[in-house]
Amino acid sequence: MSAIEIQGVSMRFRLSRKQEVLALENIDLTIQSGEFVAVIGPSGCGKSTLLHLVAALETATCGKITIDGESPEALREKHQLGIAFQEHALLPWLSVESNLALPFKIAGRPPDRGHIRELIRLVGLRGFEDARPRQLSGGMRQRAAIARSLCLDPKLLLLDEPFGALDAVTRRQMNIELQRVWLEKRLTTMLVTHSVDEAIFLADRVVVLSGRPGRIAEIIDVAFERPRTPECMRTEEFHRLSDHLTELLEP
Amino acid sequence: MTSDSNHLRDLLYGFAGLVCLLIAWQIVGVSGVAGMTAPPIGKVFAIYNKPALAALLLRSARATMFSAVLGFGIGSVLGFATALLAHLLPILGPGLDRLAVVINAAPAIALGPIFIILVSREFTPTLLATIPVFFIVYVAATSGLKASTRVLGEMMTTFGARRWQLLCYLDLPSAIPSLMNGLKVSVTAAMIGAIVGEWFGAPTGLGVVILNTLENFQVPLMWAAILVVASISLSAYGLLTLAQRWAERRFA
Repeated sequence: MSAIEIQGVSMRFRLSRKQEVLALENIDLTIQSGEFVAVIGPSGCGKSTLLHLVAALETATCGKITIDGESPEALREKHQLGIAFQEHALLPWLSVESNLALPFKIAGRPPDRGHIRELIRLVGLRGFEDARPRQLSGGMRQRAAIARSLCLDPKLLLLDEPFGALDAVTRRQMNIELQRVWLEKRLTTMLVTHSVDEAIFLADRVVVLSGRPGRIAEIIDVAFERPRTPECMRTEEFHRLSDHLTELLEP
Repeated sequence: MTSDSNHLRDLLYGFAGLVCLLIAWQIVGVSGVAGMTAPPIGKVFAIYNKPALAALLLRSARATMFSAVLGFGIGSVLGFATALLAHLLPILGPGLDRLAVVINAAPAIALGPIFIILVSREFTPTLLATIPVFFIVYVAATSGLKASTRVLGEMMTTFGARRWQLLCYLDLPSAIPSLMNGLKVSVTAAMIGAIVGEWFGAPTGLGVVILNTLENFQVPLMWAAILVVASISLSAYGLLTLAQRWAERRFA
C-alpha cells in the first residue's frame, strides 16, 4: 500500500505582474507506508515547496497529491499530520509540556499526559517539562519540536530541515536520536534537508531534485541495515553514495 | 556589580536628581528672577497643608481620575475590539485604519464644543480621554495581532488548527506585549484628554481648578494642581510599565 502519491505536480509562483518562476516541474513520486524518504537538492530548488504541498500549506499549480487516497487537506483536518521546521516553532509563552499539549487542544482532545511524558522521555527531555523554549539550547528545542510532531500519532511525519540551524556535532547527535525515535514509531516520513550525509544516514530512499525548476534528477536506494550507527558513516559504501549525491547537487 | 545594586544606584540617582530640581526651583522662586508665575516650591507644597484647598484638590482629582479611567477603559475596549474586527475581516482593515486616523486627527479643542452639545458637559472629559486611547490601543493591537511569525502559523495550520484556534492560541497571546505597550503610552493621553475636556465647562475637576486659578491669578494653587496631575499620570504610567515588562517576559 502506498502512503503518498505525488503525480505530475508542478508549482508556479508569481513574482510580479509579468514575472513567474517555475519552482517544481512534473514531480512524480510514490512514498510507501512506513518508508523514510529524504529530499535533497541545491538551495532554491523547491524541496521545501514540495513538503509544503504535502502539508497542504500551498496548492499545486497542477498535478495531484494524495495520502492514503485522500487529499492532504483531508488528512490535516483529521489532525493526522506531524511537522517540524528548521525554526523550532514552539510557542514561547508555553512550557515544553504545554507546547506538546497544543496539538491535542487543536484536535479538540484532552491532552494525554501519559503520552506526552512518554514522548518527552523518548526525545531525552525528561526534567525539562516545565522549561520554556528560551531556557533550552537549540538542540533541545528541536527535540521538543520533534516530540510535538509525534503527539497525535500522525500518519505522516514531515520534517523541513529540522536540524538546519544546529552545529555539526549536535546535528550528528540529533540524527542518531531521530533514527532511534523513528525506529520505535516507523512512521511514513518525508525529510527535506540540504545535508547529503543526513539524508543517507536517515533515509530508505533519497530523492535528488535538480535546481530551478525543481525536477527529480535521481532517486537512490540506501540499503544500510538499521539501526545505523555512526560507524556506518565511515564505510566505503557511505562515502561512495555521499560523493555521488554531492556530485549530483553541483550545478 | 549585580543588577540589584545597579537598580538601587539608579533609584538613588533619580532621587538625587529630583532633590536637586526641587532645590533649584526653590532658589529661583525665592529670588524672583522668573517673575510671579514661578513661586518657591515651598509655597506650592504649603497648599497641600491647607484643609480647604487640599479638600478641593482631592475632590477635583477624584472627578478627573473618574473621567480619565472611564475614558481609558472605553477607549481600550473600543480600540481593541476595532483592531480585532480588522484582523478577522481584513477587507475592513484599510477603511478602519483611515477612520481611526481621521478621528485622532481632529483636535480635541475643536471637538470639545461639539461634544458639549452632543453628550453634556459632564461627559465631555471622558469622551476626550477616550479618543487618543482608542487610537493608540487600536494601532498597538493591530500590529500586535500581526506579531506572530509565519512559521508558528504554518505549524498550527498543519496540525489542523481552525481560524478561531489560531486566534486564541497564537494571535491573541502574541499581541499582549504590544497591547500592553499601547495601554502604557495611552494612559497619560487619557489624563490630558480628561483635563482638556474639563475646560469646556465641567462642574469639577483638576482642569477646572487650573482654569480658575489662571483667571484668579492663584499661582501656587495652580502649580499644586499641576503637580497632582503629573503625579497621577506618572503613577499610572509606572504601574502599567511594570505590567508591560511582565507581559514582555511572559509572552515574548
